[in-house]
Amino acid sequence: MSSPSKILKKDRLASFLERLLQERQVFAPVRKGEVILIREIDSPSQAVLEYRNAKESPKSVLFPQRETLFRYRAEKGKAEVDIPSGREQGRVVFGIRPCDARGLLLLDKVFGGDCRDPYYADKRANTVVVSLGCANPNPACFCLSMGGGPCSAEGSDLLLLDVGDRYVAEAGSEKGTALLEDEAFEKVDEETVALAEKVKRESKASMKPVALKEKLEEQLERLFNDPVWKDLTESCLGCGICTYLCPTCHCFDLCDEAAGTTGERIRVWDSCQFPLFTQQASGFNPRPTVKERFRQRIMHKFSYLPETQAMPGCVGCGRCVTECPVNLDIREVVTSLSEGNAR
Amino acid sequence: MRQLTTDIRSMARKLLQEKKVQVVIGFERGSMPLRSRPCFVRKEEEVDRLVWDGFCENTLAAYLPKRKEKTAIVAKGCDSRAVVELIKEKQVQRDQVILIGVPCRGMVDRSRVEARVTPGRILQAEEREDLLILKGSDFEEALSRSDFLHDSCKTCTHPNPVLHDLLAGESLDEKNQDSFSDIEIFDAMTPEERWSYLSKEVDKCIRCYACRNACPLCYCPECFVDASLPQWIGKSTDSSDTMIFHLMRAYHLAGRCVACGACERACPVGVDLRKLNRKLLKDVKDLFGYEAGLCLDEVSPLATFRPDDPEHFIVNP
Amino acid sequence: MMENPYVPFLMRVEEILAETDDDNIKTFELSFVGKADEERFVYTPGQFAEISVFGKGEAPFGMASTPTSPGRLAFSVSKIGVVTGELHRMEKGDVVGVRGPLGNGYPLESFKGTNLVLVGGGFGFSTLRSLTNFILHDSNRKDYGELSVIYGARRPGLLLYKKDLEIWRERGDLRLHLTVDKSENGWQGHVGFVPDVARSVAPNPRNAYAVVCGPPAMIQFTLPVLKDLGFGHENIFLSLEMRMKCGIGKCGRCNVGSKYICSDGPVFSQQELSHLTTEAHG
Repeated sequence: MSSPSKILKKDRLASFLERLLQERQVFAPVRKGEVILIREIDSPSQAVLEYRNAKESPKSVLFPQRETLFRYRAEKGKAEVDIPSGREQGRVVFGIRPCDARGLLLLDKVFGGDCRDPYYADKRANTVVVSLGCANPNPACFCLSMGGGPCSAEGSDLLLLDVGDRYVAEAGSEKGTALLEDEAFEKVDEETVALAEKVKRESKASMKPVALKEKLEEQLERLFNDPVWKDLTESCLGCGICTYLCPTCHCFDLCDEAAGTTGERIRVWDSCQFPLFTQQASGFNPRPTVKERFRQRIMHKFSYLPETQAMPGCVGCGRCVTECPVNLDIREVVTSLSEGNAR
Repeated sequence: MRQLTTDIRSMARKLLQEKKVQVVIGFERGSMPLRSRPCFVRKEEEVDRLVWDGFCENTLAAYLPKRKEKTAIVAKGCDSRAVVELIKEKQVQRDQVILIGVPCRGMVDRSRVEARVTPGRILQAEEREDLLILKGSDFEEALSRSDFLHDSCKTCTHPNPVLHDLLAGESLDEKNQDSFSDIEIFDAMTPEERWSYLSKEVDKCIRCYACRNACPLCYCPECFVDASLPQWIGKSTDSSDTMIFHLMRAYHLAGRCVACGACERACPVGVDLRKLNRKLLKDVKDLFGYEAGLCLDEVSPLATFRPDDPEHFIVNP
Repeated sequence: MMENPYVPFLMRVEEILAETDDDNIKTFELSFVGKADEERFVYTPGQFAEISVFGKGEAPFGMASTPTSPGRLAFSVSKIGVVTGELHRMEKGDVVGVRGPLGNGYPLESFKGTNLVLVGGGFGFSTLRSLTNFILHDSNRKDYGELSVIYGARRPGLLLYKKDLEIWRERGDLRLHLTVDKSENGWQGHVGFVPDVARSVAPNPRNAYAVVCGPPAMIQFTLPVLKDLGFGHENIFLSLEMRMKCGIGKCGRCNVGSKYICSDGPVFSQQELSHLTTEAHG
C-alpha cells in the first residue's frame, strides 16, 4: 500500500504553517505554563513539536467542553429558537499524535451514523488532521495493543515523521494529498524512506505489549457480576480525570443557562464516573457506587463499543494511566480481566 | 525506608491475624517508576504488597468516611490530622480505625523530577537515605531528595502523626516553621491583582473534581456543585462558575483543611489550589488562633463561637 | 432524519388535566405551532419525546396520545424535579419545545393477528394507554386479536386516564381489569396487587404477547407469573427507563449493556434483555 510521500525540511515548516494560517484556523500543541495543550495558534512560533503528548486530547477542537446548541427567547405564550451558524473557515489540527488522530475516528462514528450530530460533523468535514508520528513512545503508551501504532496513519490526512533535519510526510487521504501540493514539500528520496522505515520499526519495537488475550470481550460479559470488580476499583476516587483527558470519551450533558427570558441550551462534557450521571429523578441510581461506574467505563470501552462501532473506545494514549491520582492502571485492569480472574 | 516497609508489613500482618481489623489501607508499588498507590489488604498473604517510600503521596484518610469495616490505615502526619478532623465531624469512629502512624520525610513531587529528566527515560527510581536515584537504559542520576519534594511537604510543620495506635519508625524533629511567605505576598496584592491571579489559575480548570474527590474532608453525599434544586453553579467551564466552585470549596474547608496537598497533587492541569486553601488556613490561624487536625478536643472555630470572637467587620464595618 | 436532532420545535399547551387527586400527575395536551412540524411528527405507541421548558431544561416523556388522534400530542408528567416542577406551573397558551418522536415503539407488526395482554402499573401506564387506544381505533381493531388490559395503582385517587377507563369498561372488544393496592372511600373495584391480578386473569399464552410497564417491583413479580403461564421470553415486552438526556444514543448515559434505551429501546423483549449485562431498572 503506497501512499503519496514527500519530504518537509524542518526549516520550511514555519512557512508552511504561515500559509495554512492564511486560510484556516490552525490548532497545534502549545506550551501553557508547565503543560502542553492543543490550542489555536496565530503564528507558527507558538507550535511545539518536540513534546511527548499534550495533557488534554485534541477532541475539544471538534467536541468542545462547552458548546452552544441554540439560543432561545421565551416569554409567556411565545418562544423563539435560534441556531448559531457554523464557522465557514476550515481547520487544521496540526502535530497531534497518531493515537489522538485515531481517537477522532471513534468520535466520527459516535457523532455520525444514522443521526448526524451537525455540531461535530460540520466542523469535522472542514478539518484536516496532520499528525506527528512517535519515535519515542512513553512507557505508559499502549497504542499498539489497541490496534493502532506509534506511527499509524489511521485517522490522519497527513502523517509527519521526524527523521532528523526533515519530516517524511505521508498522505492518508485526498485532503492530505492536497496538502502535499504546497511548495514546502519536496520529492522524497530512497535514503529518507529507509530512514523513516527504521524509525517506525524501532518505535514499534520499543513498546511493551499489554498482555491482552483475544477473548477479552467474552470475558468481560462473563465477569460482569463477578466480585473481582470490587477489588479492581476500590482505590478509584470517582473523579473525571480519565474521562476528560481521554481522546475517545464523549459523554455529555444538555442544560439550559438562562438569563431572564433569554438563554442558551448548551452541551457540556459529563462523565460516567460522576455519581449523579445515571441518577434518576426518583432518586434511584442503577450505578450507585464507584464499582458500577468504573465497570461501566471498562465495559463501554472494551465490550459495548467494539460491538456497536467495531472499534474499542480506547486508543492506548496512556493519559488515564499517567494522570490518575491513584495510579489505577487501565492496562492492569484489562489484563487481569482478560485472564478471567482478579489480580 | 526498607525498615519502615518491613515494620508496616508486620504490623499489618498481626492486625489481620488477630482479626483486629478487616482491611489495612496502605500503599503498594505503582505500575510506573516514581509511583506508589493506595491498596486495600484484607488477607494476611497479601501483606507483602505493602510498601513505604517517598512516592506514597496520596492522602489515604480520604477512604475513611462512610467505611463500614474496621480499618487500619497507614497514616502520615497529614493523614492523621485529617483523621482527627473526621473523628470530630463524626465521619469516623475512633474505635473503628487503627492508625499505623508513619513519621513522614516528605513525598517526592514527580512533576519536578520529570522536569529534570524526561519521564520516558526513567526505568527505575529508588531511594537511599537522602538520595533519589534514577536509572534508565543509558544513564543513572542521583538527585537530592529534599530538592524534589512537594510544596505542601516543604511547608509541613507536623510530619509526625498527631494520632496513632502504632508507630512505624522514629519520630522526626519538627523544626520546620511555616512562614506563610507565599500568602503574605498574596495578601499584599490589591484585590484586582488577586482576582486576576486567581482567574488565570481557575481558567486552567477542567472541572474534573479530582481536587474535591482526593480531599479527605470533602465527603458530602451531595456536593453543592451537583445540586439541581436549586442549581448553585453551572456545569460548564464558564469562568465565573468555575471561580465560584473553587472559592466555595475553599470556604467549605476553612478551619477544616489540614494542608495535606492531595488536591494540588490530583489536579491534572496544575491549578494553584494551595494558594486559596493556605490563604484561608492563615486567616483562620490569625483570626482564631486555630489549626485544624491537631487536637481531638478542639472544636473548629467555624463550627462554634466564642464570646471573644473577632467582630470588627460586623460592629465597625 | 432530522437535520439538527438537538433543536426542538414549538408546541402550545392546550389543555392540562390533573390525573391524580394529589395533583402530582398532570396530562398536558399540546398543539403544534408549526404545520410542517405536525406533518413531520409521525409516531407509534411506545415512543417518547423530549420536552423542553426553556430555561430549565429537557425531560423525556412517553407518548400518552395515540397517532390515530392527530393534531395534538399528550404527555403525562409527574412532578418530581426541575423541569417537571416548572411544567406543572404552566398554563394554557404557554409554549414548550419538543424533540421527537424518539425511541423504537412497540412492535406493532409482530403484534398483528395476535392476542395482547397489557399489564401496567402507576405512572408507567402512559404508553400502554397510547397502545390501547391505538388498537381500539376503528381502523386498527380488526388487525389485532383479543385485548386484555390489567392496570393498577396504589390507590383509586392515583389511577390515570379515568375517562378512558370508563369508555374501555363499556366496550365489548377488550377486557379491562382494574385494581388498587389499597382501597379508598367509594371504591367498588378489585383490591390487590397487579401481579396477583395477572395470575388470576391467567391470560392464554398461545399466539399472544404480553407488554409490561410499571415500577420495578411490579415488573419483578409479574414476569414470573407470565413465565408460569407459559409466556416465552420472546413474547414478553418491557419498556425500560433510565436517565436520559440526548435521546439519540450519543450522550452515553442511558445504556443497559451495549444498548441505548433511548435509541435501541425503550421497548425490549425479555429475550433481548437477557443478553444484556444487567444494571437495568425496569
